[in-house]
Amino acid sequence: MSAHGLVAALLADTDDEEWAARVPARLDTFLSALPAPVRAGVRTAAAAVDAYALLHSGRRLAGLTPDERERVLGSLAARPGLVPALDLLKVPVLLAAATERTPLPRAEVAPEDPPLDCTPAEEWPDRATADAVVVGSGAGGAMAARTLARAGLSVVVLEEGEHHTTASFGRRPPLDRFTDLYRDGGATAALGNPPLLLPVGRAVGGTTVVNSGTCYRTPDHVLDRWSRCHGFHLADGLPAHLDEVERTLRVATQPLGVLGANGLLALAGAERLGWRAGPLRRNAPGCKGSCQCVVGCPTGAKQSVQLSVLPEACAAGARIVTGARVLRILLDHDRPGLPRASGVLVRRADGSELEILSPLVVTAAGALQTPQLLRRSGLGGHPRLGRNLSVHPATSVAGRFPEPVTSWKGVLQSAGIEELHERGILIEATASPPGMSSFVLPGVGRSLRRELEGADRLAVLGAMIADRPSGRVLGRDRTLVRYSLDPRDGERLMTAVQAMGRVLFAAGAKEVLTGIPRAPRARTLGELDALLAGITARDLHLSAFHPTGTVAAGGDPHRAPADAEGRLRGVDGVLVADASVLPGCPEVNPQLSIMAAALAVTESYAERSSSSRSSTAA
Amino acid sequence: MRGTTFTETMLGTVRLDTGDPVRRIRLDLRAECEEILRPHRTTSAQVHGRLRIAGLADDPNATGELEISPLARRRIRYRLTFTADGRDFTLDGWKSVSPRHPVRSMTVLPFTLYEDGARAGQGTLRFPVTTGLAPFLLSFRFPRREDAAQYAVPRWDGSPGRTEVWYTTLTDPATGTGIWLHHELVAPADGSAPIAHGWAAAFPPEGKVRHVRFGPAPWHSPTHGFTAEGVDAGPGRLTGSAGDFHWNLTEQPLGEPLFTFPRWSWRRPLLPATHMLPAARATYDGTFGDGENTLTLRAAPGASARINGRGNARRWAWLHADLGGSDVLEVVAAVSTRPVLRRLPPLVFLRLHRNGRTWPRRPERSAVGLLGAGRFRARIGLPTWTVTGRTLLRRIRVEVTQPEERTLALDYRDPDGAAAVCRNSESADATVLLERWWGRWRSEASWTLRATAHAEVGDR
Repeated sequence: MSAHGLVAALLADTDDEEWAARVPARLDTFLSALPAPVRAGVRTAAAAVDAYALLHSGRRLAGLTPDERERVLGSLAARPGLVPALDLLKVPVLLAAATERTPLPRAEVAPEDPPLDCTPAEEWPDRATADAVVVGSGAGGAMAARTLARAGLSVVVLEEGEHHTTASFGRRPPLDRFTDLYRDGGATAALGNPPLLLPVGRAVGGTTVVNSGTCYRTPDHVLDRWSRCHGFHLADGLPAHLDEVERTLRVATQPLGVLGANGLLALAGAERLGWRAGPLRRNAPGCKGSCQCVVGCPTGAKQSVQLSVLPEACAAGARIVTGARVLRILLDHDRPGLPRASGVLVRRADGSELEILSPLVVTAAGALQTPQLLRRSGLGGHPRLGRNLSVHPATSVAGRFPEPVTSWKGVLQSAGIEELHERGILIEATASPPGMSSFVLPGVGRSLRRELEGADRLAVLGAMIADRPSGRVLGRDRTLVRYSLDPRDGERLMTAVQAMGRVLFAAGAKEVLTGIPRAPRARTLGELDALLAGITARDLHLSAFHPTGTVAAGGDPHRAPADAEGRLRGVDGVLVADASVLPGCPEVNPQLSIMAAALAVTESYAERSSSSRSSTAA
Repeated sequence: MRGTTFTETMLGTVRLDTGDPVRRIRLDLRAECEEILRPHRTTSAQVHGRLRIAGLADDPNATGELEISPLARRRIRYRLTFTADGRDFTLDGWKSVSPRHPVRSMTVLPFTLYEDGARAGQGTLRFPVTTGLAPFLLSFRFPRREDAAQYAVPRWDGSPGRTEVWYTTLTDPATGTGIWLHHELVAPADGSAPIAHGWAAAFPPEGKVRHVRFGPAPWHSPTHGFTAEGVDAGPGRLTGSAGDFHWNLTEQPLGEPLFTFPRWSWRRPLLPATHMLPAARATYDGTFGDGENTLTLRAAPGASARINGRGNARRWAWLHADLGGSDVLEVVAAVSTRPVLRRLPPLVFLRLHRNGRTWPRRPERSAVGLLGAGRFRARIGLPTWTVTGRTLLRRIRVEVTQPEERTLALDYRDPDGAAAVCRNSESADATVLLERWWGRWRSEASWTLRATAHAEVGDR
C-alpha cells in the first residue's frame, strides 16, 4: 500500500517540498517492519479515511486538491470521537516525515567497540553443550553471563536479535535502526483502557542499547519493601551490587556542557519553582549530546551492556549466539524430586533448530518474554507467573518557547525533577530524535504542518509514575500484555501532567501542549488547570518503558514464582535474572536495579554450587 | 537381572572446521546396557564400534556411551571417542525425539566433533530405515547380567544324601599342562556329619599324570564357597596345598553364566543333579606346583563349574572345550541311577556358546528333543566318545578322545556309599563340526582341539 493521499492530507503537502514526496515510501518501509496486526490496523484506518473522502467528495484523497483534503480531514477532526484514532494514524506518518525532513547528521568516526565473541546462529552447531545457558543479552543476561563466566563456567548467551556495532549506528538513519533494534518494530503495546505503548529492545545488549542511559540506584525504601514485605532477601545486599554495577557502567552525573537546551530549560523551570532537580546520573562518559540514545548511541559513549559488561563476559570465556530464539527449556523429568533443566531448544531465523545442553538455564529475556518462554517450556504452572506487571506508565508534555530549543540537540534524557518522587512521580526532561517522541503533535493538515515546522521551539518533559502491579503477560508466543491502569495511578499521571505544565511555564513557555486531543494546548497555568479538570488519565497518550515483576522473587511460595534467591520454583536449574525477577515496581529507571539483581541471583548460585562442590569433595 | 545389547549402523556427512570438504561418515556401533532398555526411562549404555570418515579415519575401536531416553528426556545421546589421522576426537550429538516428527527425529543425529575440548567440526548421521531397521531390531538381545560370585555360595541346606562340587579345569598356555582342582562336599545319606574332600591333578604333555587328594575334613558351612583343610575355592580365588601340591590362583570370569542343565534345576533341585558354569570362560593367573614342576600361569584359559545333586550318575561323559574367541562348548551326557530312568539312553545336555548366543536355545532341547523326538545322542566309551544332534537347521558332531596315558582314573563315592570310577583327562583331544542346512548340509564351523579339551567319562 502506498498512502500518498493520506500522507499528503495529514501533512498538508502542496508538492513544494521535496522531502514530503519521499514520506509515503518511507512510511511503507516502516510499516513493513511492524507486526502484521499493527500493519493491518494502520492500513485499514488509512483505507477508512480514503473511503470517507470518497463519500465526502466523490474522489479518493490522492485525487483531491490540497484545499479539498484539508476540508475532508477537518470534517473528520471535528468529530471528537475520531480524534484519538487520527492521532494513532499520525504517529507512523510523523515518524516517516521527521526522518525525511531532518537531514541525516554527519556520521562521526565511531570508536571501535570492545571485542565480543558473537556467532550467528546459522554458524552455531546443531548440537552443543555448556555449563550455563543465558537466554537474553540485556541488562540482566549480560550481568548473569559475566558472573557465571568469571566463576569458571562455560557460558553461552542466546540473543534473538542481532549484534549492531557503534559504527553501524552512525551509518544509518534513526528510523531504520529503530525498526531493527526494537521488538515488533517498536509497536509492542499493552491492551487495556487506555492502551499503552510498551517498546522493548531486541539486540545484543537488549533494551540497554535503546534506553536513555539514565542510571538511578534503587531507592532504599524500595529495597526495604522488597526484603521485608516480599521476602526477597537478596535485596539486603543490593547496595554493594549497585556499587559494582555503577563502577562497571562508569555511571556519573551528566555534565551541563552537553545537556542541551531541553534539559537546561527544565532545570531553570524547577529552580524558579524551588523544586529539587538536577542533571541525571548516566552511564555515558564523554556523551556528545547526539540525542540518539533510543536508536543506539552513534558515538559509543553510552555504556550499554554490549560495550561494558558483555565484553568482560566474553573475556572470561562466554560466547554469544545471535539470531537465536529460544523455543523452550528442555527438562529432564525422570529423576527423583523436581524436574531438572537440561538445556534449551533454539530456532534460527531460517526455521532450523539447534539444541544446547546445559544443567543451568538463566532466563533473562525480559519481563515480557520470560513468562512466555516458561509457559512454552511447561513451567508456567505458578498462578502468579506473568502477573504482577508494573510498567512505569509515562506521558509527556511539550512547551512552546519563543526562542528555538532544538530539543534533539543535546542529551536525550538530561535532567530529573524529583520534587514529587515521594508521591511516585518522577519528571525527566526527555527529548528524542525528530518524530520518535511519545509526544504527538496536535492538529491535522495545515495546523499539523505548522506544528511540525515549529517543532524546534518545543521543549519536552516526560513523567513516569510508580504504578501498582496492574498488568499481566498472556500467551506463549506473541507478546500479549494486558494492563489496567489503577485509579490511583491515573490520578498520579494527571498530577504529573499538571506539574510538568508548571515547570514549563516557570521556564518561560508561552504555551503548553498537553498531547491530549480533546485539550491540546494551554497558554497559562490557570488555563491548563481548567483544561485538565475535565480530563482523565484515559485521555492521555501513555507509553511505558520499564516492564518488571512478572516472575517475581519472594519468600512466599504462593505469591512468588521464583524463590528468594531467584530460582524458579517447581524446577531445578532455572534462574531468573532479568526485570521479571524484581518483586515490585522499582520506582526509578530500572537498569541498575535489574543488573544488581541479576548479579545477586547469579552470585548466590555460584557461591552455592562452589560450596556444594567443596562439601562433596570433602 | 537382564541387560540389553543391540547394534546400530548410521551413515551421514561431516565437515571439519578447518575448511575441510564435506566427507562421508559411517558409524557401526554395538551398545551394551547393564539393564533392560525401557523406552519411558533413561538407560545408559556402553558403546564400541567402528567409525569411518572417508579419506580421514577408520577406527575400529571407537568407544563411548549412549544415553537412551526417547520419552522421558526425548533424547538419545551419543558420545564417542575415536582417532582420525593420529588425532583424538570426541563425537557428541543427540537425536532429539519429537512426537510431531517421530521417524525423522528418531533417525537423524546431528553431532559436533571436539578435539581437546575445542569444537573441530560438525555433521549429521542418519539411520537408514529401509535397510537398517530390520537388522537393528533383530540385533536386540537381553542377556542376563549375573555376578559369578553368587554361584560359588554353598547350596547345601543340611539335608542328608546330597553332594556338591566346586571344580576348576584349566590349561597352562605356556606348557600345555592341564590342571584339575576338585572340591566336594558330601552329606551322607545316613545322616552322619558332612565331609569335605577333593583332589588336585596335573596333566603334563609329557610324563605321567599326577594327583593328590585332600580330606576328608569336617564341613564348617562357609558362606562364600568351599573351605576345608587349608584348601579354599571362592569367587575369584583358588588356594590350597595338599601333599606336595600347592596352588594359589586368581580367577577372572569372562562371559555370562552357562547353565548346562536347565536353569530352573539349579534354582529348584528337582533333578538328580544339575551342572552349571558361573562363567562360561575364565582366565587364571598365579602359581601351581605339583611337587615336580611349579607353573606360573598367566591368563590360562579354563572354567570353574558347580554340581549340586544327590550323587553321581550311573554313567556319564563331560566335555568343556574352549573353542577360542568367546566360544565355548559344554557337554554333559548322563544316565541316571534311578529305576526306570537308568534304562534310558544317556540324556545329552549340550551348550554351544558362540558369537554371544547359546545353541540350542534351551537345554531341554538336546536332552529330550521335541517330546522325545530329535534328542541328541551320545555314544559313551573310551578312549573315544561322541555326541551328535540336530535341530531344525543346524547339526553338530562332537568326538572326544581321551588317550589312556593322559587320563586319570579316580574312585568316586556317592552320599549313599555307592562307588563309581571316573576317568578324567584335562588334556583330551576333541573335534567339533557344526553344520547348517541351506539346501544341503554345509559346514558352518569346525574346531579341532589337541590336548586342550577337558573331558571325563564315568561309570560303575
